[in-house]
Amino acid sequence: MKGSLRLGRHLYEGLQGYLFLSPALILLIVFVAGPGVWVVGLSLTNWDLISSTASFLGVGNYDTLIHDPIWWQTFLQTVYYVVVTVPVGMLLGLGLALLLNRRFPLRGLFRAAIFVPYVTPAVATLVIWQVIFNTDYGLLNALVVHLCLPTTARCLPKLGWLTDSHWAMPAVIIYSLWATVGFNMVIFLAGLANVPPELGEAAHVDGASRIGVFRHVTWPLLTPTTFFVLIISTVAAFKVFDAVYVLTGGSGGPDRSVFVIGFYLYQQAFVYFHAGYASAISVVLFAIVVSLAAVQMRLAGRRVFYR
Amino acid sequence: MNRRLAVPFGWGLRYAAAALIAAAFIFPFYWMLVTSLNRPDQLYDFPPLLWPDWQFHNYADAWSQAPWVRYYVNTVVISAATTALVLITTSLAGYAFAAMPFPGKALLFGFVLAIYMVPTEVTIVPNYITMSTLGWVDSYQAQIVPFGASVFGIFLMRQFFLTLPTDLWEAAQLDGCSHLRFLRSIAVPLARPALVTVGLFNFVAAWNAFLWPLIVTQTQTYRPLQVALAVFSQTDDQQPMLLAAGALMTTLPILILFLFAQRQLVGGIAATGIRG
Repeated sequence: MKGSLRLGRHLYEGLQGYLFLSPALILLIVFVAGPGVWVVGLSLTNWDLISSTASFLGVGNYDTLIHDPIWWQTFLQTVYYVVVTVPVGMLLGLGLALLLNRRFPLRGLFRAAIFVPYVTPAVATLVIWQVIFNTDYGLLNALVVHLCLPTTARCLPKLGWLTDSHWAMPAVIIYSLWATVGFNMVIFLAGLANVPPELGEAAHVDGASRIGVFRHVTWPLLTPTTFFVLIISTVAAFKVFDAVYVLTGGSGGPDRSVFVIGFYLYQQAFVYFHAGYASAISVVLFAIVVSLAAVQMRLAGRRVFYR
Repeated sequence: MNRRLAVPFGWGLRYAAAALIAAAFIFPFYWMLVTSLNRPDQLYDFPPLLWPDWQFHNYADAWSQAPWVRYYVNTVVISAATTALVLITTSLAGYAFAAMPFPGKALLFGFVLAIYMVPTEVTIVPNYITMSTLGWVDSYQAQIVPFGASVFGIFLMRQFFLTLPTDLWEAAQLDGCSHLRFLRSIAVPLARPALVTVGLFNFVAAWNAFLWPLIVTQTQTYRPLQVALAVFSQTDDQQPMLLAAGALMTTLPILILFLFAQRQLVGGIAATGIRG
């Protein structure tokens, strides 16, 4: 009697747990986990997003992808973007964190100024950078023209930041660095807060130089943070979309010069209605993100340093 | 002597560098203001005008060119509703994971964390199909419901609820208090700092969202500010002053929010490392 009562109570409690969980879980399954699986299925079809029928292609879309020169251009340009923004962004983030780690007046204000681009709406800041990058009246070109060399009396030509295929990607990169370096700085500052100051002081007393303290004390202790920033900013960089879309007015730049995976995926799906093909691109992006996450878990499991 | 001099010098150098860099980062916002108040004939001036010309009518012009009030209402409705929904679903789920016994809990929690790996960009094609099946294309709910739960929110709420002493629940249970009542009247009020962090995050994310609203809205009726601004910027021969005015109008609420909630926002990011 008492046993069955307890069992009933257990069952009731267990059901209640699922009940509490269900709103979040249903939403996550329907809109995140489910689509993550579904997209793989879609990538095997030639569906066009509109009609009610689609035929099975097998790996046809992937075969097309391998032979699609625009895809390879897109992929390489994405890698170019990642390979530049990630290390430069990390270096700047670390440098700023070290600069603003010490206590001094207005430090909070300086930190806020560097971080604020990260929280403001990307479209709004992109629109203003569009004005700054403008070939004819943009501020950046005004500065470039200002760099006239007095001895030769020659000025640098105005650059077509968003109209020249060589300069469009650098423009996107400059914007992205401006917008995300503050995030890296905040994470590095949190990492630096965990480095006990006594360690540095002790090393200093023992005659270590400032650079020596950084190399042998701070840097090793910061390894987990550095690794975390590396993975998270690499994932974010592979997904870049807003900057490319808004800066180029939705075109992807002159000669497709700033086509990136996120943009190509969007264009294939919602401009050309190649939903199956876009799904294959999504799967590739998914695979990149998952392998980066796997690397992170693998290495985070192993102790990168010890205290 | 030498050492004494070196310290203030190093301090001054650091200070100057920090001030200069901070000014450079904030400059585009200043430039937004300057451009928005400029005269069209001064745009091409060289050297460029570095301070505002106070042409306030630019704002009136920008305002009259698009139904901004509608866009504001849309963005506010979407951001507020998303935030409310997220707070409810994550409190419930976080509480269940922290305080309720049920079979398969560890497995389900692992599953929820694994969901975090799925990037939004990857889900847009299947989700668009779901939206069109439900008849939700071009609607508020299409911009709210898919973001109604958050892995990071569940995680944060769970961590917070785990810190509540178990005596609290045991005492309440003796008084015949149900889980739901305990959550509503004791756990949630205590969890205010965590709720503020989760709420702020999702509010800012919803306000700034671009790719999904771009896909799922087709008319002005449900279009949020960010998509409207992008469309506004693609208008042929759009005047830069009006663009800057529009950009400033859509940024201002978030800038004000940041001013007041900077600690919670930055603290939340530092603690969780969430990157949008």
